[in-house]
Amino acid sequence: MEKSLDPETSGSFNRKKDDESSTPRPDAHAEELSPELRSSFAQIMEDVDRFVETLSSVTEKSSFPEIPDCVKSLLKIIESLISKYDALTRFGQNQEEDASFFGSMNRVSKLVNNLGEFPSGSSNSSFNRASSVLHRAVCLLDDEFHVLLENSKRSSNPDHKSPMPSKQSSFNHNQELDQSVASQPETVTEDEFPSFTKESIANMNRITKSMIFAGYELECCLIYSAFRGKAFENELDKLGYENISTDDVQKMQWEPLEKEIASWINIVKRCLTNLFPGERKLCHSIFSDYPSIAERLFVDLATALIMRFLNFADAIALTKRSAEKLFKILDVYETLRDMLATINDLPVEDLEAEITIAQRRVGESAVSIFCELENSIRSDNGKTPVAGGAVHPLTRYTMNYLKYACEYKDTLEQVFQLHPRKNISYSNQLKVQEEPKTMEHSESSEFSIQVRMVMDLLDANLAMKSNLYKDPSLRYIFLMNNGRYIVQKLKGSAEIYEILGEAWYRKRSSELRRYHKNYQRETWSKVLQVLNHEGLQVNGKVLKPILKERFKSFNSLFDEIHKTQSAWILSDEQLQSELRVSISSVVIPAYRSFLGRFKQFLAPGRQTEKYVKYQPEDIEGLIEDLFDGNRVSMAKRKN
Amino acid sequence: MPATDYQGTSSAPFANIGRSIMSLRRDQVHVHSMEGSHDGAGHEVELEAFQKQVADMFQSLLAAAASASANDELLSLSWIRKLLDSFLSCQEEFRVLLYNKSQLLRPPMDRLIADFNERSVKALDVCNAIRDGIEQIRQWEKLLEIVLCALDNKNQRALGEGQFRRAKKALVDLAIGMLDDKDSGQTLANRNRSFGRNKDHHHRSVGHFRSLSWSVSRSWSAARQLQSIGSNLAAPRTNDIVASNGFAVPVYTMGSVLLFVMWTLVAAIPCQDRGLQVHFNIPRHFAWAAPLNTLHERILEESKKRERKNACGLLKEIYQMEKCSRLLSELADSVQFPLTEEKEVEVRQRVKELAQVCETIKEGLDPLERQVREVFHRIVRGRTEGLDSLGRGHNPE
Repeated sequence: MEKSLDPETSGSFNRKKDDESSTPRPDAHAEELSPELRSSFAQIMEDVDRFVETLSSVTEKSSFPEIPDCVKSLLKIIESLISKYDALTRFGQNQEEDASFFGSMNRVSKLVNNLGEFPSGSSNSSFNRASSVLHRAVCLLDDEFHVLLENSKRSSNPDHKSPMPSKQSSFNHNQELDQSVASQPETVTEDEFPSFTKESIANMNRITKSMIFAGYELECCLIYSAFRGKAFENELDKLGYENISTDDVQKMQWEPLEKEIASWINIVKRCLTNLFPGERKLCHSIFSDYPSIAERLFVDLATALIMRFLNFADAIALTKRSAEKLFKILDVYETLRDMLATINDLPVEDLEAEITIAQRRVGESAVSIFCELENSIRSDNGKTPVAGGAVHPLTRYTMNYLKYACEYKDTLEQVFQLHPRKNISYSNQLKVQEEPKTMEHSESSEFSIQVRMVMDLLDANLAMKSNLYKDPSLRYIFLMNNGRYIVQKLKGSAEIYEILGEAWYRKRSSELRRYHKNYQRETWSKVLQVLNHEGLQVNGKVLKPILKERFKSFNSLFDEIHKTQSAWILSDEQLQSELRVSISSVVIPAYRSFLGRFKQFLAPGRQTEKYVKYQPEDIEGLIEDLFDGNRVSMAKRKN
Repeated sequence: MPATDYQGTSSAPFANIGRSIMSLRRDQVHVHSMEGSHDGAGHEVELEAFQKQVADMFQSLLAAAASASANDELLSLSWIRKLLDSFLSCQEEFRVLLYNKSQLLRPPMDRLIADFNERSVKALDVCNAIRDGIEQIRQWEKLLEIVLCALDNKNQRALGEGQFRRAKKALVDLAIGMLDDKDSGQTLANRNRSFGRNKDHHHRSVGHFRSLSWSVSRSWSAARQLQSIGSNLAAPRTNDIVASNGFAVPVYTMGSVLLFVMWTLVAAIPCQDRGLQVHFNIPRHFAWAAPLNTLHERILEESKKRERKNACGLLKEIYQMEKCSRLLSELADSVQFPLTEEKEVEVRQRVKELAQVCETIKEGLDPLERQVREVFHRIVRGRTEGLDSLGRGHNPE
């Protein structure tokens, strides 16, 4: 169907006579057409057309038709043109001659095509000659097509100036003007892939049209794919793309592999957003009359490249799972998703399936890595408590990991939804399934369930770790520290907050308040008891020995608390000052009132000095030392 | 640890109940003394069934290679496809056999499985390289299509000098393309220039369409990869067999099958730096050892035949392609124009033969490529399942 188009039988021929002056060219030392042939060119073409028409109407093809003289003349014309182009001339330098060439060649194509239908043509010398001439013409175009495909501006050396006018305008014969006017704006788009000049594209368009019309579609497509395949390979080389075998990917350290992944992503993205559209446009400009051929050529090339890219994605999905890989793997996942979206409108079911498979694998790998977080929490059961009740590294690690992961929230949601985790242990599954009833997240996504599960595991783990502290006060300090850290991270990341929900956050905050109260009770209730006014007086008389005992107790209790708890840590400054304030607000008034009420019963001088070790202001100062994690300063103070 | 949750349900869900237990040849199977072992008696039957399946597979491949008396099917497209089919079913059985087995987490199985996984990952690169090779054959097939198009395989049109020149051009491109990588295509490439248009470029043969390193790295070598797949592949020692409840045997068996299949693919299909120096030292008590060794020898013999020595692949259809196109080339060189009737008849006969070869390749190549892809996917799946379940067991922290 496509073959029936005749690209150049009409058109520029009629203009030929007006334009005699632009030929002959000095460098064309091939034989010139004789004046007779020249003047009768139009006539010959007309005669050939008529002859072809009669040929196609012949139904009985057993005897070979008589060949008129116009055919011989046509063959002579084109042979002389072939010799001329064979020598030095390039297409695009002389519009009129080009037109003559394509016009005569297409007539020869038609002739050969029609004469070929007469089986006896095999032994006919005119047919023989015509077919041979046609083949020569095609070879000429074939060579020219090679040259044009090879010489995109991109592959040629940058200061090399194209000898051709940069703008193709088939009916403008003033080349000098054309070149000077049009070459300037062209440079703007110079770097755009695939960087062929308009002129070159127009020439290729004519060449492919004539080759296909001559029945050489296979060759034409083969050359095109070979060269464009090569061009892409060069382009990928330039971008630094290298095939890494699956085996090598498995052996690579994470750091270099991470770089390879980043570079892969860049290159794939560049292909999807830049190179592929450019290539597709090029295909359709060169094969503008054959959209289905153009599309097929583009699809084949894109498919081959994408399959090559997928090898790497597959290799990545096979590497050992470890937590630090999650984010790069999600990047790969997103890239594959873009890839799928890009090829959406192409007729490539197999390719789509391959991308989908790779995407699934990478997705499953991401899920499995994320779920590794659970395992690392579960298996973190060291028996040494963190000194001073500080934030446990596991809490930091888990929360920072979650925070980072939540930057990929949408992708993770998708990954968990499309590639639900396998091998989930039953106990966990049950736990997760029960949760929605007790809490308010019944419409949770797989991912948020997963995040909650991680948080629950972390909670359980921290509860277990808190039991490693013998001192209940320190236990609450530890819980407060870690709880506070978690809440702060939550406040800092809208995504995690959203996943865990407000209720969860409120619950956390109230737990923190409870820890606070419990701490106060554990540590300071004894102190307050000592400062209780009751039990010191009998019948309105202060019992001095008991009073002395009380002062002594207070001093030693407070010293002990100061000594131990100055070494404890509250890493969150606000929490630290909140707690100090609340301690001061309880302890100092009580002490002040105790002191104010009972100091008078001690004899001034040595006795007072002995029992009243601290003024309320001293107490305030000492409370400021608490939770500093600073043993040295405390030791100094003591001396 | 999640993986241990499966310990209670370790018997394979798809045990081959249908297999005739009576037909098992216990004396040939290495694992029959494992009675009363951890996983119960059922697994022993499965293990033996697997040995038998592999032996049957090689027997039937051997039979297929020899049966068609007139036409040796060995290394034909259809035979290779049969080989891959067999591989896929073995792989599946193997997967089922090992599915959720608690032994897999304990020595020596953990080590054996890790070794096996390493081998299979290496096989993935072979699959990718083979896919490039298939693409290469497809390019040659396209050149043959040009020949058929030029010389009118539909037998309806006249043949002129132009048609012959067109065909010869494609045949020369094909000959260049089919030269092994190591040879230089230069001389032929120059000869290929049928018309003197000595511009500033060399004629580029489209036969060298796409380099074979399209998918693998430039330094990649099929020969080295095969050796790497086969390295340390040795029959399991008795104490390993005992310690693994016999499961060491199928792991070894599958490793050998994998190596043989990859070796055969490399033998048949063009790929980067082919080389067939792989030794199979399989103890003879394995029922599949004899047919595998026979096939190995026959393929080696094939590679040593004079006309195949420099071939870029032992695939039967490549040879036919080569032969047919060579004959046609010679014929085309000898004709004079206009064509005599006798010559025309002869040419048309040759074209018909070529068309047949072309048809076989055209029909067989796509399914073959899909199969190679399937092999790839199955290996990957086996590997990722391993990563998900086993990986955790190995990961103490």
